[in-house]
Order: sequence, then structure tokens, then C-alpha cells
Amino acid sequence: MRSTVIDRRTFLILAGGAALAPAWAEVAEEALFLGARLNNGRFEAAIIDEKGRDRLVLPLEARGHSFAIDQPRRRAVAFARSPGRFAVAFDVDGRNEPIAIAAAPDRRFHGHGVFTRDGRLMLATENDFEAGRGVVGIYDATDGFRRLGEFPSDGIGPHETLLLHDGRTVCVANGGILTHPDYGRAKLNLATMAPSLAYIDAASGEVVEKAALAPELNRLSIRHMALDAAGHVWFGCQYEGAASERPPLVGRHRRGREIELFPGPQGVLHSMQNYVGSVAVDTSGMVLATSSPRGGLIAFWDTETGQYLGRQSLADGCGVAPIARGRVLATSGRGAVVSASPKGERGLVEAGAEAPAWDNHLRRI
Amino acid sequence: MLRNALFCLALACGLPAHAQDAAESIPPDIGQRVAERYVVPSVVAFSGVTGRLVGKTGELCAAPGDDALEEARATFADTVRAWGPVSILRFGPLVEESRFEHLFFWPDVRGVTLRQVQGVLAKEDESAATPASLKEKSVALQGLPALEFVLFGSGSEELAGAEGAYRCRYSAAIAANLAARAAELAQAWAPDAPFHSQFTQPSADNALYRSPGEVAGETIKALTTGLQFARNAELLPALGANPDKANGKRAPLWRSNLTFDLVGTQIEGVMGLVDAAEFRSHLDEADGAIVNSMLFDLKHALKALEEVEAPAETAFTDAEDRARVSYVGVALEGAERTISEQLSAAIGLTMGFNALDGD
Repeated sequence: MRSTVIDRRTFLILAGGAALAPAWAEVAEEALFLGARLNNGRFEAAIIDEKGRDRLVLPLEARGHSFAIDQPRRRAVAFARSPGRFAVAFDVDGRNEPIAIAAAPDRRFHGHGVFTRDGRLMLATENDFEAGRGVVGIYDATDGFRRLGEFPSDGIGPHETLLLHDGRTVCVANGGILTHPDYGRAKLNLATMAPSLAYIDAASGEVVEKAALAPELNRLSIRHMALDAAGHVWFGCQYEGAASERPPLVGRHRRGREIELFPGPQGVLHSMQNYVGSVAVDTSGMVLATSSPRGGLIAFWDTETGQYLGRQSLADGCGVAPIARGRVLATSGRGAVVSASPKGERGLVEAGAEAPAWDNHLRRI
Repeated sequence: MLRNALFCLALACGLPAHAQDAAESIPPDIGQRVAERYVVPSVVAFSGVTGRLVGKTGELCAAPGDDALEEARATFADTVRAWGPVSILRFGPLVEESRFEHLFFWPDVRGVTLRQVQGVLAKEDESAATPASLKEKSVALQGLPALEFVLFGSGSEELAGAEGAYRCRYSAAIAANLAARAAELAQAWAPDAPFHSQFTQPSADNALYRSPGEVAGETIKALTTGLQFARNAELLPALGANPDKANGKRAPLWRSNLTFDLVGTQIEGVMGLVDAAEFRSHLDEADGAIVNSMLFDLKHALKALEEVEAPAETAFTDAEDRARVSYVGVALEGAERTISEQLSAAIGLTMGFNALDGD
């Protein structure tokens, strides 16, 4: 079994100034954010505060992607970028030794996961690459993240997964893209893609509902999701078809209904270049933020009406996470950290060649 | 204070991730050069040879015989060699309507082509034997890998006699579909076609390319994607991590021993495309050296490929040939890095960490 070697001293590196901060326990209520990044040639997961200051850094053996977060118990799992061979569970306050989780030999992590509300299980999207089907791996979060089993994601290329407000149903975005580790990240089935949202009872593994796009949109890969105040699933897509086509990239699914797609203004849709990298809903649940690193922008949407609210520019911006009402904290591949709303944005950390390059996702702890 | 002001400015610009302020180091007419000097000749040649392939398979069906079969096979080899330079153009017309997959369904991780083609041959499925109905079937049944099995795979010797009549008609239908897709490519790149205009005349109100920088970005992406594909999808799976894991049957077109012709013509294509874009003439001497270093890698890769002695089926396991192929893999990786990291920076393109190959 391949292990993730982590030096505890390195793990406990606290950024400059942190020594002056109060003890972690006393600031448990403060907003903290978690993202993967490339810092001076090294891959790491980093926790930052709402000003973008480093609070905790965890070295990773390769490029990271997103995280499963168990907020009540102050812990998280960092996933490798897909197709990933490793994940690392760690205490967000740096109190315990991290735990390496290796992918099962015939599975690869797909970058995202969730904890169940009771903190007993951690669920991770994975690829059963020989069979060419998506699965959700089940890990015992009370016993060293031992893999207990899996259930089918009912699709190919599962990516982000969410736990719904009912606390028992997980929604999985089956992006539809088949990959195989022997061929790296090559997309093997573009002609026959069939992306979907699958709602699965986490207790039984039973698929309780499935939503798909119209057949002519079979190349619109559903990848990232967020829940709004009403508990509806919002998602962002990446189009694998021709660049001359500009299908809508943002959608909502309300249980029991058809998927709705929201194109927004033509100019913004065009700028997004058929690619949404990450989505987040603000702290009120009323505003959705969708980032497009290719377009260098973050677009905002009203989660009640699907109306476009505005955009902010952020070159190679991708990570977005709720920070306040109508506002998200956003990170970029050039090292910028900004606080952005439909009305404006505030720079917190400036971009720069030496700054850590933030990867796709930012999560609020 | 000044620092803050600069920061705000940088944010306000909001330039698209792969189209930074294209400096004078990007040839302003790069689209024109690439189209006229590389793309159009390549797609026209490919269209021409697929037309010949239709003729040769037709003749084979009309008058089966050893010579006719040899001619059809030789024309297939010419088709593969003409496909190499076209295959690296994975944007625009080659991507639209899944044309790439229709022409060359690869990688075929799960052996779909073999299974489906054998199924069609066993059943003598009439719907696969006419171009129109074949087009509606699985992409694995209608591209170069499918035709390769029909012309070179087990049972292909029957094509020289009357008992191969169905097999021959199926081969002719595949050839007709290849020719149809190739003709569509040539039309889409013809000087008066919309895509050609968009690629060669980037402007703010152009739906696809708003600046020469975006055209250069598309070209760079085609180069790196082409090199990655040749290495990761065509060579490495057959090479395996060690000699025990090597298996030439995981390489494309091993039955016809055209694997290395395919990779070689793709490498030549990359060199031709770089040449057509004339990156070097807009760079200073130091940056021009980047292009030279990349071409050096590719020339040596080509030389190593030429030196491979065994047929593709066994070359990946034979010690000496294996070393040659491994070297090709290393050289392709080096060239790809030089392009994506150094050349793109030298011409002022910043490929975003997230934008480039996100998830």
C-alpha cells in the first residue's frame, strides 16, 4: 500500500503572524477556508482565514482537488486530482496526525467527497476503471478511514457529490466522461457521453431519482454542484462539444422536476468559453457564484429566479466559497484571493509569480 | 499605496486566461500562415488519399485478387500517413460532429472496435455495408482502426477471393465514410468557409477567436495535445511500466504494422505546424532557441522511430526496440513541456493553472 509520507513538523507549519493569533479553540467561530494549491513547486492543502492569510498548511504528494469536510468535528479529507490515488484525512486545527487513505487498487478517486452528518462515514466519488462505471466509495470515518464498500453512482465519471438537507440523500454529478488510468486524463467516450445527476440513499445505496439533460446536450458534462437555501441543486457544466456552440452552463434541479438551464446574457456566456470550474452558494443561500477560469470571471445568479446578477473579473479564477450574504471568497491560479459579490470585488491577496497558485476549489470549513 | 493601485488595476483588466496582451512576439497573421501552409494542404491531401482508398476498395470488391488486396492495403497505409498530420488538429472542424472519433476511434481501452467489427463480419450485417447506414452506427465501426482489422486482421486473406464479398463491401463502406468525413474537413477549411475566416481573421466581434493571441493559443494547444496523444494514448500503453507489462497489441494499428508510421507522421506534423506558424521569426535569439530545442527533441524522436527494427506487435517487448520507443516517449514529453511552458511564455501566452486542463 502506498502511503502518504507527511512530516508532522511540516504539517504544523503555521504561517507568519499566526503565532499572534488566539488559540484555535477560541476562534472556532471564525470563517476558515480550505483549498489546494501549488506553492513554490510543492503541492499542498492550505487553510486560510477570511483575509486570505495562511492558517495551516498540509503538504500533498501530488496535485490536490477538493475536500470532504466534517465541520462539527473539525476535520477534512483532501482528495488528489482525478484520477487520484490518494486522499488525506486531517484535523483542521492541526491537533492530530493526518491519515493517508490510498485508493483501492482497482479504483481511482475523482476529487470530491462528503461526510455523513453523524461523522461516521465519508463518501468519495471514484472510478471503477476496468468496468468503466462510477462508484461512491464508503469509508469508516470512525476507524482510520477503512474502506467499507461502495455503491454505483449510476453513471460514468462521477465528480462532485453533495449531502442534501435531508441528511440521508447524496446527489452525485456523473460528468459522463470515461477515463482509464493507463491513458491519463484522456477522455475516452466523448461521442457517447451521458451526464446525469443521481440521487442516492446513502444508507441503502439505492438510486432514488435521476435527472439527465436533453439528448442533444449529451456533451454537456455536469461536474460541480451547490445547494441553495431551498435545498435545490445548482450545477455548473463543462461543454465537450464544438467551441462554436455555446450551450447554457448553469442549471438547477428541483427534485421531481426537469432540469432547468440558465444561459444568462450572451456576452457572459460567450466569455465563459464553455467552462465552469467551480460553483458556490453564498451564506444566505440566495446567490450562486460560478467561476470560469477560461473566461477569467465569476458570474452571479439569483437562486430563486435563475436571473443573472452580475460578474467580476478574476484571471484564472476558480475557487469560490461562501463568505457572507451575497458574497464569496475567490481564489485564482495566479495567487489572488478576493472577496467578490455581484456588485464589486475587493482584493485581499494580490496575484504574483511567487504567490501560491490556487487550484480548482475552495471550501468553507 | 502604489502597490494597492497596481493590484486593483490588475484585477480590473480581467483578461481572458489564455489571451494575455498578445505582444508583438505573436505573428499577427498566424492564423493565415497556419491555415495556408499547414492545415489546408494536410486536409486536402487526406481527402485525396481517402478518395483513392474508395477507388481501391471498390476495385478489390469488383475483381478480388491478391494484387488488388495488396493495392488496397498499400492505399490504407498511405491514408494512415496522411491522417497523422491531420490528427493533431484537434479543434474546430475535426472536433465538430465527433469527426475525430468517426475517423479514428482511439484510445479503445475496452477493445470495442475488435468486438463490434467481428460481430458485424460474423453476422454479415447489411446495415454496416452501405455508407449511409454505417454512419448511423457506432463510431468504432467506421474509422481507420475498424478498416485496419477488415483489411489486415484475421480472415482478411479471404478478401482476395469471392468468399470475402461481404467483408469487402463493408471495407468499401468504411472507406466511403472516411472519404466523406475527410471531404467535410477540407470544405470546412476551404478559404471561403466560415471556420477558415474565423481562424484567419480574428477580431473582437469574431465568435471564436478575438485576437491573434487566441489563434496562437489554439495552435499551441493543438501541438501539446498532439504530442500528448502520441505519447500517452499511442505508445505508453503498449510499452507498459516494464518489459513484462509490454504488449504491442495495445498499440494502434499494430496489425498493419503502421503504428510507428502513424506516430512518425504525427511528429512530422507537429514540426510542420510549428514551422508554418513561424513562431521563431518573431522571437529574439534567446527565445528562438526554445523552438530549436523542441525541434531537436522531435528530430531525435523521429530518428529513433526509424531505427525500430521489429514490427509494432513485438517492438515494445524486444529489448533494443523497447529502448528506442522509450526514448521517443521521453523526447515527446520534453518537446511538449518546452511548448507548454517555455514557448507559450515566450510568445506572451499565459496558460492558466485552472484554465488549461481543469476538472
